[in-house]
Amino acid sequence: MTSSSRHSSSFRDPSGFIFVDQGIIKRSISPLYFKQYNALKTTDFYKKLQHAGLLISHKELSVSKEEIIIEPEQVSFINYPYEWSFNQYKEAALLTLKIQKFALENGFSLKDASAFNVTFYKGKMIFIDTLSFDFYQDNSPWRAYKQFISHFFGPLLLAKYNGLESLKLMNSFIDGVPIKMVASMLPFKTKLNPFLYSNIHLLAKFEDKHNEDYKGNSKASSLSKKAQLNIIKGLYDFIKKMSIERSSEWGNYYDKTNYANDAFDQKASIIDGWINNLDAKTVIDVGGNDGTFVRKIKQELKEALVCDIDYNAVDANHKYVKQHKESYMLPFVFDVLNPSANIGFNNKERDSFLKRIEAYEPDVTMALAVIHHMTLSGNIPFEMSAEFFSKFSKHLIIEFPKRNDSWVQRLLNTKGEFKAHFDFYNINNFESSYSNYFQLIEKVSIDNSERVMYAYKAL
Amino acid sequence: MIHLLYFDPGLGAMIIQAIVAAVAGVLLFSKNLLYKIKLFLGISKPNDDVFDDIDVKDSDIESKSNSDKQ
Repeated sequence: MTSSSRHSSSFRDPSGFIFVDQGIIKRSISPLYFKQYNALKTTDFYKKLQHAGLLISHKELSVSKEEIIIEPEQVSFINYPYEWSFNQYKEAALLTLKIQKFALENGFSLKDASAFNVTFYKGKMIFIDTLSFDFYQDNSPWRAYKQFISHFFGPLLLAKYNGLESLKLMNSFIDGVPIKMVASMLPFKTKLNPFLYSNIHLLAKFEDKHNEDYKGNSKASSLSKKAQLNIIKGLYDFIKKMSIERSSEWGNYYDKTNYANDAFDQKASIIDGWINNLDAKTVIDVGGNDGTFVRKIKQELKEALVCDIDYNAVDANHKYVKQHKESYMLPFVFDVLNPSANIGFNNKERDSFLKRIEAYEPDVTMALAVIHHMTLSGNIPFEMSAEFFSKFSKHLIIEFPKRNDSWVQRLLNTKGEFKAHFDFYNINNFESSYSNYFQLIEKVSIDNSERVMYAYKAL
Repeated sequence: MIHLLYFDPGLGAMIIQAIVAAVAGVLLFSKNLLYKIKLFLGISKPNDDVFDDIDVKDSDIESKSNSDKQ
């Protein structure tokens, strides 16, 4: 395999690389890693991890002297750390620690602990980097310890003490939030906690101190396996107990809306009917809150991506997924006014939201009670939101709250003297803009409300 | 030692692990003791956590490998 087909995100690890062969993701393993790979295979370690649902499964396609090629189970929609809610992030951190402990018990060790090695798939976090394992060397410290702190523990602490939006920092720091920065941002009281002091503040100091006199001969330190297990278990217990104080402004959104119960049920049954008629198997619900409307769909869905800007709503959805062991629901954090961009080297390491969703091609896009926020809070003209949805939607189910809707009125009132500037917000302008990108299938007004539902097909 | 090719683990981060492990060891020991005392006194709280313990259970590995064969 020539390196020209190498996937642009796959260059950090010399053990092998990912490439795309006719739309299928495959992994080439270099002879450098043959010894490890064969050991992982013959000891059944891979199998154990895969059966326990911790590592993505794969099958071996070919073996030669130059390379081994494996094909991992294809993940339909890769999601990134900066798109996870607090508890999703926690789950990914716990998974990584769990795997490291299990690896140690089996004579292996994770050689890296990047948060990008994990993704949410089929109702849980799963490890997707098959080549992250190396032999455990007796009495050696965990080489990925610092990486774990900067990729997982640091961001989680920042989210807890400085606000959930801190989790977005991973978008800027693709190789983890610098530990010195984490230490400087955390409140003083974290220095009084011996666990946090040693794992964050002291670590920051040590890193600072040893930064300059580092000559590349990192022979020095040794650490017993038992001691390393103490670090892993200590982190696991601490992270497992971490929680956030919820200010659920949107958390109980449905209790607060201007919907009468009848209207709510009617809306749900309209959506259900359309999804059924379109025979949709995959949907994305943009602004889907905690997944309430998607769960009202009776038609069996293969997968539902439910995204929302609100961390608490995504967290509530995630909790529901875990408690009910759902596998089709994929919650993630998403700001429609600023979707995730292409980032990393050459801007090609991590794909933008648009690139991933275009490749995913959902059967139906749902945008319920979103358009007035996009148009009136985000000042996005109808023409532009229509264009955005048309880029990845085969079908669009969109709800339009008319001018007299109480939410619309509230948003308009915040515009003060510029309220007249938003006179364009009316149903005729909406329909004419959307007709440039979509063909109307059906339009239904919801009784006793100021809201209209549309089913569109992309032109 | 393939990992030497990969990335710099940070010398400070390697040295500090002995200290971190010692602190974690003390905390784990005391928490464990406290838990046992609470359990003995019957005041341990019920757990509504959605996350598992750290250990990979044998049953996880076996039950799923059986279903694979079918």
